[in-house]
Amino acid sequence: MEIRTAPFAHDAKENESTMKLTLPSDIYYVCWRDMKRFLSQKSRILMTLVQPLIWLVLMGNMMSGMTNNPYGARMLGVKNYIDFMTPGIMIMTALFSGTFCGFSLVWDRRFGFLNKMLAAPISRMAIPVGKMTATSLQITLQVIIIGIIALVMGVTFSSGVFGFLLIAIIAGIFSFAMAGVSLSIAVFFKTLEGLHPILNFLTMPLMFMSNAIFPKAAMPNWMKIISDWNPLTYAITPMRTLVVEGWVLEKIIPGLVITIGFAFVMVLISTWQFNRSIA
Amino acid sequence: MKPIIEVENLTKKYNGGVTAVKEISFQVEQGEIFGFLGPNGAGKSTTIMMLNTLLSPTSGRARVAGFDVVEKPDQVRMSLGYISQDLAIDDILTGRENLYLQAGFYHLSRKKASERSKELLDLVALTERADDQVETYSGGMRKRLDIAAGLIHRPKVLFLDEPTLGLDIQTRHQIWDYINYLRKEMNMTFFLTTHYMDEADALCNRIAIIDKGIIKVIDSPASLKNQVRGEVVCIQFSETSEDKIADALPIISSLSIVENVKQRDSGCMAVVRDGDTAIPEIFRVIHSKGLKINSVTLKKPSLDEVYMAFTGKTLGNERESNGNTHRTVRT
Repeated sequence: MEIRTAPFAHDAKENESTMKLTLPSDIYYVCWRDMKRFLSQKSRILMTLVQPLIWLVLMGNMMSGMTNNPYGARMLGVKNYIDFMTPGIMIMTALFSGTFCGFSLVWDRRFGFLNKMLAAPISRMAIPVGKMTATSLQITLQVIIIGIIALVMGVTFSSGVFGFLLIAIIAGIFSFAMAGVSLSIAVFFKTLEGLHPILNFLTMPLMFMSNAIFPKAAMPNWMKIISDWNPLTYAITPMRTLVVEGWVLEKIIPGLVITIGFAFVMVLISTWQFNRSIA
Repeated sequence: MKPIIEVENLTKKYNGGVTAVKEISFQVEQGEIFGFLGPNGAGKSTTIMMLNTLLSPTSGRARVAGFDVVEKPDQVRMSLGYISQDLAIDDILTGRENLYLQAGFYHLSRKKASERSKELLDLVALTERADDQVETYSGGMRKRLDIAAGLIHRPKVLFLDEPTLGLDIQTRHQIWDYINYLRKEMNMTFFLTTHYMDEADALCNRIAIIDKGIIKVIDSPASLKNQVRGEVVCIQFSETSEDKIADALPIISSLSIVENVKQRDSGCMAVVRDGDTAIPEIFRVIHSKGLKINSVTLKKPSLDEVYMAFTGKTLGNERESNGNTHRTVRT
C-alpha cells in the first residue's frame, strides 16, 4: 500500500505547485469548450453567414431611396445607404449574439455541467469571463465575414485594412461587454423560458434607441438623450467613422475608450453576480 | 493514519428555514467504500455538496484529505472527484474532448492529459468511440465516460451520486467492477449514495443511513443486518378492510414470539424470533379476526429491512417516487 500511495503524494505536490496562477488557463478551457460547441453546430455557422447577407441585401436595396433624396443623404452623412447600414448590421449581430451568451449559463446549470466546473479547482471568475471571451471571438469572426460580404456588395472601408480589423475588434469588445450583461441577468434564472423574454426586452430598446439604424439627426430630442446614454451608440460611432470617414481620431477614440471601459466594468459586475449566485 | 473524510457537527440550513442536515458527524477511512443511504430529501445531496465545496455549511466542520472545505476549497477540489447523477458531460464534444476539457479544469499538462485520457478510455472500454460525439453514445457509455472524466486527476476520494441509477444490469456490474478495481489498485476512497440496497450490500464497507437530516446509524452491512434480529414474516391479506387489520395487529404484536409488527399496504410485516413456529400462531390470530390470507413469505433480514427499520419507509415506495423526481434539476 505504501508503494501505491506514493505516486498520489507526488501528484498532490505537483498539483499544488501548479495551483498558483491558473486564471488564464481556466479562462482558456472554458472558452475552448464554448468555441468547440459553436464550431460543431453547423446551423449556427450557416446562420451567421445568411442572416447578415439578408439584412444587407434587403435593407440596402429597400432603403437606398433614402440616399437618392439629397436631404436624406446629408442626414445620414453617406452617399449610399448601405455604407451607413453595414456597421449597423455589424453592431446588431454583436448585440444579439452577445445577449444570447446568458443562455449557455442557464443550460450548463440545468444539465449539471456548471456544478461539475464548480467542483473543479478552477477560478470562479474564469466561468463568466471564459464565456464572454468565447462570445467575443465568435462575433469578431462574424463581423469579419459581414465585412467581406459588404466589400463584395460595393461598400468601401475608408480606413483601409487596419480600420477594417479595428471595426471587428470594437464589435468584439462590445459583444464581450453585452455577454457580461447577459450573464449578470442569467445567474438568477433556472429556465431558458424565463430568461428569454427578459433578454428580448433588453435588446430591442438598445437597438432602436441608438444611431445604429437611424441617424441621430432624425431622432426626436427625448430619443437623442436616451441614445447618448446607450453604450451601443459609443461602439457604433467609431465603427461608422472608420467605414465612412476614415481615421478621424477625435470621433474614434472617445467611443473606443468608453466601450473598453464598459467591457471592464462588465467583467467586474458579471463576476460579482456569478459569485453571488453560487454562494 | 488520519481519516480521509472527517465531518464534525455539520449543519446546513437553507434560506427558507429548512434544516437539510442537522449536526452530522462521521469519518471515512482511506480505501473505504462508504455508502450513504436515505430517502429523497433526507440530506444526502446536501451533504455531498458541502463536502464538494458546492455549498457552504451553516455550521460545523468538514475536512477532505486533511483540508478544511471552507478554508482550503481549492485543495479539497483537487483531492476529490465528483460524479453527479446528472450525467454532466458535454454531448456536443467527443469523448476524448470531454476528457481533455476535464484535464484542463484540473490543470494537468497536455502531455499528461492525453496519456491519462488514453488510459481511462481503455479502462472504461470507450477507446473505439473516443472520437465520436457524445450525442451518439448510449446511456451506459455516457456514464462510463462520466466516470472516466471524474478520475482524470486521480482523486483521492471519489463522490458518486447514484452511480447506477437507470442503468441496465450489465452496466451496473461493470461500474461495480471499476469501483472495486480502483479501490484495490489505487487505494481510492469512495463515498456513494444509492437507492439500491443490493448495491450498498455488495459494494460498501460501511453504510450510514440518514433520515430527515440526521444520521440514524453507521455500521458495516453485515452487522446492520444482525441488528435486525430474527426473521421477517410478510403477510398479504386478500381483503383490505382497514378495521379488521387494525384489530388484528395489536393481538399479533402481543404474541410472545413476535418482536414487532408494522402495517404495510393491505398486509403486515412482523419481526419474529423463529419464523417456523411463529407463522401458525399468527395465522390463528388472523383467522379468528375473519381475515383471509393471500400470501405469506418468510425472509431472512436484508438491508431492505434495516433501511425500513431506521427510516420507517419501504424501499418500494421510495424507488417509485425517486423515478419521478430524479430528473429534476438541483441548483
